[in-house]
Amino acid sequence: MKKFSVIFLILSLILFTAIVKNSTKRIEDMIFVLKINIKDLGKDFENIKLEYDYLSSTEKLLEFQSLYFDNELIKKDIKEIKIINWKLNKLKIEPLKFVNE
Amino acid sequence: MNISTNNLYRADIVDRNNKYLVKTVSSIDIGISTKKVIDKKKLILNLKYIFPDKDYSSVKSKLENKNFFYFEKKISEENYEKIMQLGDKSIQPEEKLTRVYPEKNLFSHIIGQIDNDNNGISGLEKSLDEKLKKAQDPIKLTVDKDIQYLIRDELLRFNEIFSAKGSAAILMDVNNGEILSLVSLPDFDPNKREKISDVKFINRATKGVYEFGSVFKTFTLAAAFDEKIIEPQTEFIDLPKTLTCAGFPIREYDNKIPSNLTAEQILVRSGNIGSVRIGQKLGEEKFRLFLSKIGILDQIIFDIEEVGKPIKFNWGKCPLATASFGHGITTTLIQLAKAYSIIVNGGYNVHPKLIMSPKKNKKQKILNEEVSQKILPILRKIVTTKEGTASLANVNGYEMGGKTGTAQKSIRGGYSKKKVNSFVSVFPTSKPKFVLAVMLDEPQTNEDYIYHYRDGSNIKYKGTPFNTAGWTTVEATGQIVEKIGPILATKYSEIN
Repeated sequence: MKKFSVIFLILSLILFTAIVKNSTKRIEDMIFVLKINIKDLGKDFENIKLEYDYLSSTEKLLEFQSLYFDNELIKKDIKEIKIINWKLNKLKIEPLKFVNE
Repeated sequence: MNISTNNLYRADIVDRNNKYLVKTVSSIDIGISTKKVIDKKKLILNLKYIFPDKDYSSVKSKLENKNFFYFEKKISEENYEKIMQLGDKSIQPEEKLTRVYPEKNLFSHIIGQIDNDNNGISGLEKSLDEKLKKAQDPIKLTVDKDIQYLIRDELLRFNEIFSAKGSAAILMDVNNGEILSLVSLPDFDPNKREKISDVKFINRATKGVYEFGSVFKTFTLAAAFDEKIIEPQTEFIDLPKTLTCAGFPIREYDNKIPSNLTAEQILVRSGNIGSVRIGQKLGEEKFRLFLSKIGILDQIIFDIEEVGKPIKFNWGKCPLATASFGHGITTTLIQLAKAYSIIVNGGYNVHPKLIMSPKKNKKQKILNEEVSQKILPILRKIVTTKEGTASLANVNGYEMGGKTGTAQKSIRGGYSKKKVNSFVSVFPTSKPKFVLAVMLDEPQTNEDYIYHYRDGSNIKYKGTPFNTAGWTTVEATGQIVEKIGPILATKYSEIN
């Protein structure tokens, strides 16, 4: 009986090791694929960001302004810029203090 | 089939808001190794199917006569997949890395260039060469792309208005030395990989060494305040209109300048003789030490290698007199920006920088705090009063202060009629945050330019009356601040 138990234990351990090893390999494969995907996505993100940076650059925005907005977008006087604060459910509008004069 | 990659990797460079200034992008070139082609007719047929518009007579001749040739460069991902599906062993893809500068000329003097062997040859591409080849993450700079664009745009405009040979501008945080913008004109497009050897492309902001003239008078006064020799209200009585030193006359620029002036009035009215008197009170040793302390006399250590070395100044009795009003003494625009920052930020040393670093340097106080307290109201008066020379920079809402400098260019054995006009401004003067140094190299007057006075009178004035900084560089600075001011006030200032 004792002999049988030892053999059973050894076989179980072998089986368990095989299962663990198999699943580890599967997980490793998945990690590898995910890493590759992340790398590809990262590359795509960088290229899209490059395109976005170019299209949203000041040069392009000024071009779009003259094309589509003409006189609608005007230069704001700094004294007209205010700070909106939302405190204790109350809206407070304060002047922007860039200077102390 | 493996893609062979070349060794051209360099890390990207981004601005302070993580926007790309330089990017390494990969592209795939398709080559054909003719010795490995099994069936030429079949290969051409398959290629025709994917690239129907190509000239196949030349492809055929290359297949016959060459061992290897590039069939198509920089192909799209879609065509790459199609061509690889052919499974032909003679088709050899090569991944190429290309360095692109999406902002073209905008950062040319900062970023610099690389050669065909992937080595940096100027700017940050050179000074950070090793780091760029190894770094995995992008390198972050202190510059702001939008502000850089606006400043360059205005500078280009005024370069043309005043027919200047070149110009430069530096916008820097006076408290930490972070450079938000550094422009030098003319500039170049690094994408073209042209050899830039013409001296006209010199970096006028960091490499060009000039006599800047009256902007040095601020240093004379600040040094005297630092040594506690005079106060802003100290009077100088019976100042002559002319002095002679070693046989050479020293004259006032404006003969209407009164003979009795306070130290403050001397700087506001940009008095030459008064500045000489202050310099003489101070003495050679103290003035030299002060200029050395604020980094004017020696070559600056900076993030790019293109920095100029001020010409060695031979001190003496007469040189002290001329240096007191900025004559005969040279430096670079970036050193002017640094020196003004130290004078107005409470006397703390600053090191101009282009590369963002997470660690904050410990502040080192090198001047008495009173220097800033005494100088700032005077710099403000130069912009706000009738007697001051910079009223065209009095942009409403920004508390501008600063000092003008109009200097003749030195030539061998004397001075030419060509000028260097500069204006170093500081704002807001109640709590300085930014220094903006602008210079125009050899500007000319413009008969058609219309000035709008900023004194609330709504007066317009046509034509440049004098070729001085007050009518050229100050006007350019005013227009620049009008454009970038709202961004600086909202994006880069602590809200209340």
